[in-house]
Amino acid sequence: MRSRTLLAVALVLVAGMAFANGAQEGAAEPIRMGGVWPLGDITGEQGSKSAQLAVDELNANGGILGRPVELVVIDSEFSPDKGAAAIERLATIENVDFFIGGMSSGVHLGQIPALKRYRKITMWTGAASHLAEEAIGPDQDWYFHLHPWDYNQGASYVEGWTAIAERYPDIAIDRWFLAYEEGAFGSASFEATQQLFSDMEISGESFQSAAAGGGDYTAVLERAKEYDPDVFIWAGYDADALPIMEQARAIDFAPPLFVGAPPGWPASFGESGLAEGVTLYGMWAPSLNSVSDVSAHYYQSYVSTYDEEPATYFAPLGYTAVMILAQAVEAAGSMDQDAIIAELQNIEYDSALGETISFAPSRVISNQGIRQQKILQWQGGEQQVLWPFEFATSEPEYPFPSWDR
Amino acid sequence: MTGFKRLQVALSVAAGIAVVALFLWRPTAVVYGLQRAGLYASIALPMALVLGIVHIVNLAHGEMMMVAAYLSYAAARALGIDPLLALVPTTIVMFIVGIVLYRLTISRTVDGPELNQLILTFGIAMVLGQAVNMIATSQPRKISLDYVSASATVGDVSFGVYDFVFVALAAASLAGLYLFLKKTRLGQAATAVGQNPRGARIVGIDVQRTYTIVFAISAALLGIVGTFFMTKFSIFPTVGGSYTMRSFSLVAMAGIGNLPMIVVSSVILGVSEAAIQAVPHGGGWSPLVFFGLIILAIMIRSFRGGRA
Repeated sequence: MRSRTLLAVALVLVAGMAFANGAQEGAAEPIRMGGVWPLGDITGEQGSKSAQLAVDELNANGGILGRPVELVVIDSEFSPDKGAAAIERLATIENVDFFIGGMSSGVHLGQIPALKRYRKITMWTGAASHLAEEAIGPDQDWYFHLHPWDYNQGASYVEGWTAIAERYPDIAIDRWFLAYEEGAFGSASFEATQQLFSDMEISGESFQSAAAGGGDYTAVLERAKEYDPDVFIWAGYDADALPIMEQARAIDFAPPLFVGAPPGWPASFGESGLAEGVTLYGMWAPSLNSVSDVSAHYYQSYVSTYDEEPATYFAPLGYTAVMILAQAVEAAGSMDQDAIIAELQNIEYDSALGETISFAPSRVISNQGIRQQKILQWQGGEQQVLWPFEFATSEPEYPFPSWDR
Repeated sequence: MTGFKRLQVALSVAAGIAVVALFLWRPTAVVYGLQRAGLYASIALPMALVLGIVHIVNLAHGEMMMVAAYLSYAAARALGIDPLLALVPTTIVMFIVGIVLYRLTISRTVDGPELNQLILTFGIAMVLGQAVNMIATSQPRKISLDYVSASATVGDVSFGVYDFVFVALAAASLAGLYLFLKKTRLGQAATAVGQNPRGARIVGIDVQRTYTIVFAISAALLGIVGTFFMTKFSIFPTVGGSYTMRSFSLVAMAGIGNLPMIVVSSVILGVSEAAIQAVPHGGGWSPLVFFGLIILAIMIRSFRGGRA
């Protein structure tokens, strides 16, 4: 009797183990995406959150090819070394299928040797410098770059301002003054502006950005005021944004077009009355929800999930990177790399950024996605799109309002 | 009159002529130079107190100001108040932070080699910066305040006047520290401890208590400066680092322990920087002028030392 009981217990245990193993073997292996962002910065924080949002949406709808999707995120900390180490870890320890994410050309330059070593399909959201494009080199069909290169951006500014001046004859863009931070970013912006707008009058003056220990812009603003430009542009960092406006107000400098061109804006900038009428460059703003259903869907999902607004275009770019890969894998019907690359090269993806994204060769690489920045303007605390006109959400507020507004 | 005295007089006259010429050419450069001098002096004076009077080398000076700025920012955001209303609580909190920092860490190094203090306070600076980075992220913070854009117009020239608050702050700090060191028993004890800790201990002065309070006063002053700083500038975890370096340079230029000379040095540097920035494309030369003048001042002082 006792041996029969023991036998029965053993049978139950063996059957249970067999069932458990069978269940494990039957479970679909996840598709793994490896993301690298600077998580201490709002671009990386919101970009990675948006990528996770896309992954959650995919899993809620059955995953990709019936397999669940996993996102592994590593912090680059804005360091080329740590960014490169993150790629190594994602490739060797995490065994990811795709690389996504990215912000900062400097970090990306450090990552490119590792990316070229593993040659996994890469959907990169950051890095505008043409030096990164040259480092990737031609014939790297696994590399897909979403963010416009610096020369794409410059060309789109010329195209945009020319189009705006044609449509609105009151808007003059003949005389420019560029206040640029004295580092590589600002100096490159000044040189590029001089080349791109070579048929216009251009002057400029450097300043020490708050990010580099400066923060006093009075000298450069006084010089700009004396120059009396049609367009005043400052190229610095987000830490400079509000102090520049406050100091411009203090010296009563209100040019007809006041343009800011930092890589990102401080989250609270729109709350300030000083933001009204400031023009800027970017790829996305919540106002696009009124002209793009994909943007509206993304925005509502993000806000309901994280209880905050996406405040940088790197957020919808993170979402877009995941969704483009998902669409291509579904279309390929397998995880075969060549088949997925072929699908990506033929894809037409309606993105949250407004554009329908497809890939084509740029100066060096085979697969460049977005080629255009938008011209936007702060109006009533929100960024409104002025150009391209097909995405325009408002008319330009011109001239920039005087400070006794 | 000795050769050195003649050199001093000649330099003073040349500086005076230069300032008058600058004022006639571009009056706002003098205004902005004085305002910048106020900012430099108000940040450097607390360092001059701990370095010059009780000889504590604090490489976390700028980071402590950064922490104070974040405290006022957080209070203003959480309570919806003007950040200047957070001045008193931030100052009190920083006074306590100063006591805790000194008692827990720096007090262990005051009798050791100065290198220990350097490494320790460098570590504190790293910890403070990283802690704020983890809590608040590296995203710059700035509250838009109307009064920061306050301006005056003379003729057809408009200029900002809010930064004169730093001039007033520097003047008040200098006067307060002077009265503290000369007129209070604790201040006199601090001077005695700085000159000869062992002798001060023999005559019954509680050396550790004196060090603690002087360090806490310095931290409290940084609480005040940090609050005004965040009304004017964006704040982020690394914002204080450059001000540690500037403050050290000012203390070195003024001479260790010479508080009034901190103000004079700040005026020389602030006006010189504003002057070079008033020249078209001169902005890039500003750091060179700052540190060049400091090297020059230290060399002149060593020349005087050699003559003596």
